Amino acid sequence: MSEKESTLDPVLISVMANRLDGIVREMTNTLLRSARSAVISSARDFSCCLVTGDDQLLAPAEGLPVHIFGCHIQTANMRKYHGDDIKRGDAYLDNDPYGGNTHPADHTFMVPVFFEGEHLFTTVSKCHMADIGNSIPSSYFVRAKDVYEEGALVFPGVRIQRDFENIEDIMRMCRARIRVPDQWYGDYLAGLGSARIAERRLEAFCEKYGKETVKAFFKEWFDYSERRMVDNIKRLPKASLVNKGRSDPLIGVLPDGLELTVKVDIDPDEAEIHIDLSDNPPSVDAGLNTSLGAATSAVVGAVFNALDKDLPRNEGAFRRLKFTYAEDSVVAAPKFPHSCSVATTNVSERLVNITQSAFAQLGDGMGLSEGGAGLGAGMAVISGNDASRGGEPYVNRLMLSTNGGPASPVADGWVNYAIPVIAGLMYRDSVEVDELKHPIRVESLGIVTDSSGAGRRRGAPAQQIEYGPTESPMIAVISCDGQHTPPRGVVGGLDGTAGESWQIEDGVQSERLPNVIQLHLNPGQRVRGRDSSGGGYGDPLDRELERVTVDVLEGWETREKAHDIYGVVFTGEIDDETLEPDVAATEARRAEIRTARV
Amino acid sequence: MGYRISVDTGGTFTDMVLVDEDGKFSIGKALTTPERISEGMFSALEVVAESVGKTARDLLAETNILIYGTTRATNAVVTKATARTAFLTTTGFRDILVLKEGGKHGPHDYSYDYPQPYIPRRHTFEIDERIGSAGEIVRELDEAKARSVIETLKARNFEAVSVSLLWCIANNAHELRIGELIEEIMPGVPYTLSHQLAPILREYRRASATSIDASLKPLMQAHLRGMQSDLLEAGFSGDLLVSTSVGGCQEVETLVERPINTLKSGPAMAPVAGRAYSNLENMGGDVIVCDTGGTTFDVGLVRDGQLVYSRDSWLGPQWLGDIIGASTVDVRSIGAGGGSIAWQDPGGLLRVGPQSAGSVPGPACYGNGGNEPTVTDAALVLGYIDPNYFNGGRLTLDREAAERVIGDFGKTIGKSLDETAHAIMVIANELMIKAIGEITVNDGLNPRESVIVAGGGAAGFNIMPIARELGCDTVILPKTASALSACGMQFSSIVFEATRSRFTASNEFDIDGVNTALQEIETELQEFKDSLATAAGAKTTIEFFVEARYKAQVWELDTALPTQRVEGAEAVMALAESFHQTHERVHAVRDEGSPVEFVNWKGRISIQPFSPPEAPDPAKVSQSPTPDETRSCFFGDERVSTPVYRGDNLKVGDELQGPAIIQEATTTIVVYPDMSAQLSAAGDYILNCC
Repeated sequence: MSEKESTLDPVLISVMANRLDGIVREMTNTLLRSARSAVISSARDFSCCLVTGDDQLLAPAEGLPVHIFGCHIQTANMRKYHGDDIKRGDAYLDNDPYGGNTHPADHTFMVPVFFEGEHLFTTVSKCHMADIGNSIPSSYFVRAKDVYEEGALVFPGVRIQRDFENIEDIMRMCRARIRVPDQWYGDYLAGLGSARIAERRLEAFCEKYGKETVKAFFKEWFDYSERRMVDNIKRLPKASLVNKGRSDPLIGVLPDGLELTVKVDIDPDEAEIHIDLSDNPPSVDAGLNTSLGAATSAVVGAVFNALDKDLPRNEGAFRRLKFTYAEDSVVAAPKFPHSCSVATTNVSERLVNITQSAFAQLGDGMGLSEGGAGLGAGMAVISGNDASRGGEPYVNRLMLSTNGGPASPVADGWVNYAIPVIAGLMYRDSVEVDELKHPIRVESLGIVTDSSGAGRRRGAPAQQIEYGPTESPMIAVISCDGQHTPPRGVVGGLDGTAGESWQIEDGVQSERLPNVIQLHLNPGQRVRGRDSSGGGYGDPLDRELERVTVDVLEGWETREKAHDIYGVVFTGEIDDETLEPDVAATEARRAEIRTARV
Repeated sequence: MGYRISVDTGGTFTDMVLVDEDGKFSIGKALTTPERISEGMFSALEVVAESVGKTARDLLAETNILIYGTTRATNAVVTKATARTAFLTTTGFRDILVLKEGGKHGPHDYSYDYPQPYIPRRHTFEIDERIGSAGEIVRELDEAKARSVIETLKARNFEAVSVSLLWCIANNAHELRIGELIEEIMPGVPYTLSHQLAPILREYRRASATSIDASLKPLMQAHLRGMQSDLLEAGFSGDLLVSTSVGGCQEVETLVERPINTLKSGPAMAPVAGRAYSNLENMGGDVIVCDTGGTTFDVGLVRDGQLVYSRDSWLGPQWLGDIIGASTVDVRSIGAGGGSIAWQDPGGLLRVGPQSAGSVPGPACYGNGGNEPTVTDAALVLGYIDPNYFNGGRLTLDREAAERVIGDFGKTIGKSLDETAHAIMVIANELMIKAIGEITVNDGLNPRESVIVAGGGAAGFNIMPIARELGCDTVILPKTASALSACGMQFSSIVFEATRSRFTASNEFDIDGVNTALQEIETELQEFKDSLATAAGAKTTIEFFVEARYKAQVWELDTALPTQRVEGAEAVMALAESFHQTHERVHAVRDEGSPVEFVNWKGRISIQPFSPPEAPDPAKVSQSPTPDETRSCFFGDERVSTPVYRGDNLKVGDELQGPAIIQEATTTIVVYPDMSAQLSAAGDYILNCC
């Protein structure tokens, strides 16, 4: 721990940190409100942060957990590639998963901020683009056997603006190879606008406080963050946790899925957490390999789930986290030219679940259950040509139905969870907005009764959706890793339920579809998708009667499940508002279940 | 011409403002009586009647207009005291109110449950029908099933019905038929149809607004009509208006049909007051309005003389609460006020709020057992408050208690008593600065070009350093600051909005469709005006807006229509340009290559039934008054002997150099060193912060 030699007043530190936080929030708001594709403007699959001029992560706002780690590597590469030829008015684009970025779909816009001739900050906006020129119409390509088959345009720290003007060569390249180029350009403007807004604000910030104070602040703020982290880790028990999980199979490539392992050593004496990701399979011939940025973010995000809610997430806090990686692995160590197309989802989702549930091994009150995982039909990438708009092409990722969140020691799962790496931060699409923008119709969308992983706190239920094209054929690319291994419960909580998808024609449901599929649908045909639900936390027999009563009244769980799993017996009826738990009968039923377990 | 009365019935206090024929303001406060609201109102009336030497009954008889604002609807929602309401929606979509629109605070915070829907799932019923996005009927309404659902509602004694079907905004036939069936089967039971209340795109916000409105109908209809008859009985024969969430007021009968519009109607009036005070002082049309209470700090805006509206207005916290769906005056609240508690986090930083000592036990200096350091305690320690003249001397403060809690807290952070109290103020300032930043800077408004109007009992402690930090030169702090919302009603117009959803784009603009929509809107506005007795001959303005966006964006920006109708290609281009400018101001970029899409068209009529007071001539002379006493105060460096002035002894034109303290009965103003204050001809304090 660095010595506590304060040069700035703690009140000033607080003021400056708040101000930077406000700047990142403004970046976020700008990007959200001005972006074009639903994946950014509705699903919020982006994040904004500030990095110091010497590449230390300074201030991420409430960006997606899977984006929090790695931007500092990207800014370092920008400086490595361009050396002294970086100046005010420049902007850079990076999406290289081998250079700190998460995956190629995340276009990262970087603007260096200068004050009195010195490069003091880099502002960073990272946006998941609706299309990036892949060989299939989806920015997620699970089956890509290498980067060449994947087909994404990759920009390793490429300059895209000089003197605040676009470098048109790059714009033409993107327009030549990215589907629905106007949509890409609109999102490019939104990402760039966000980074430029921050530049304006930071220049004013430096003007106000002066260079020396700003630099002193960096040091103080990192040291403060580290102190918070030290304090928090010292309050944890000393433990070595090992947890494993399994991803869904990939037909023809990985018939048994991948066994994944995370080891977490908590050392309160040294106030450090060691995360060992080295015990994992080598890179695979599919888009499932996770970049260093994505895998580390997934695990760090899950570690933060087990810590104080308001810990700063920056270079200072990260000093207390130590990582061990393999040389060649599907986890954090892909070997070129293996594809990292779906690095932020599939395997990363499992890493979040494995890590957050590992903490539950410390006992009741710690960690979380596993959350619902997988980009199912309600989060598919849809594309086609819109006959009602003269055959105009469209491509977009939906965010209509989502998985259920994990249970914690104190709270039930969050319904709009999406996937573990998004953790509820996204917005849902409106059915009406999606039907207006694309030639599709949604038949139904709702939560699935009795699907939750039961527990003292239950996971959030699964959702189910059915939709299809209206006038012209449509392709739906589903890249789901959550249909075979269900999210697990912890500390006596039960597992959640896995997702499924089917095709519907003339009201008839097909055989279950594979979890990864490019589905071609004609008008009249529909896809029906069910997402997965969160696992439970703690023994369902300890769930309070009031909570079970609300569950049954509201149709989250049936009366039968309340009887069989929660051991709660009711009298009266829901319809006439007379439903009440029978306390004596419940005690007897719970005793009966307990006896049967022994 | 007689008196004009405005009443703001809050959770604790009922504020009343009386304006006489000469435009003189009198303020009365009384405790709110939730059982029969008119009792508290009549108590406050006694106070103001006494100040003008009349009986309450005589005063009421001589009153032409009474404007009533209430938190009744808000409180009913918060305390779940609304009607037993059924929600009817399209088959397949019963979970619209459960699923909301997503969003969550804190990516690593799993400490709270997912919220329950506004109307329980077991009170939600599906109607077999479906309309498509172009208004086409995909599945006919199944009347037999619909009848059976409504029979069930009747059998189960539902008190109100909310109806929101998918795409009813494109084709209202099915909703209208459901309305008829409700009237036939459950006559007298109030209901709301979503396409009538809130014809907006996005099913969740429309359904939420409709459900909130329906659930308020039984209660608010009884409440408003009860108050109306109580007033009649007490001898009032003037016009009764009720303030609304759009910062205007409407007649009782209109609100009986749309009680959702009474939500948040109190805070919405503070920007109306802010605009009026800025006008009176000739300070321009860009105003930041701050209202500092005991537990919250509310910020609203006036821009180019217009109130700023938001569609994303929530009852309760964003995402966890329920969206109102309708336009409301954009007022944001943060948990920072006089009662906010200071604490130290595990990393050693000083934090203030959002926890508050509230009114019970209150700050330590209230002497009611409060044991934690608050902003008010800090202000007392710093010498800003006279412990014997707080709230006009009605509450004597315990200075020792304040020094004890601040001193103890100082030991944990290693600072002296004064330094600690000052640090608490600075952190509270920073929270408020950030809150102002979010509503101004984030929407492209530079606070440097605005004047601040400050109100609320605790505003004067720190508004000057906040203004200086934001680069605002001038703060207006009215003498009536403690009743800012009730004052706002005195300046408000009768405001009504009409909306049509008509989707089109700049590259294939539906000129006829849009002009038809605008004509319908204007007709609706005109009919509204014709229905008002008070409106005859009054000054009236009609403005048109459209929610617009670049093609494929999903979030719109309110864009003013440059013309009343869109006639021809040039008018379309002018409208698109109006959007480009708005977009560039807010989001730093423009995309002229992209078509502009237009979604919801809005018209707003403002009827000004009474003229605002004329701005008095500015004070010609300035003079330095003599202080009533001096007190030792701390402003960050060392204790200084500070002159203290009693507000009622100051004269127009009196100018005070900081450091100085001004004590009004219900507020205290701290004039910081290097800053100054002057009492204006209109009776406001003009604080010079640059």
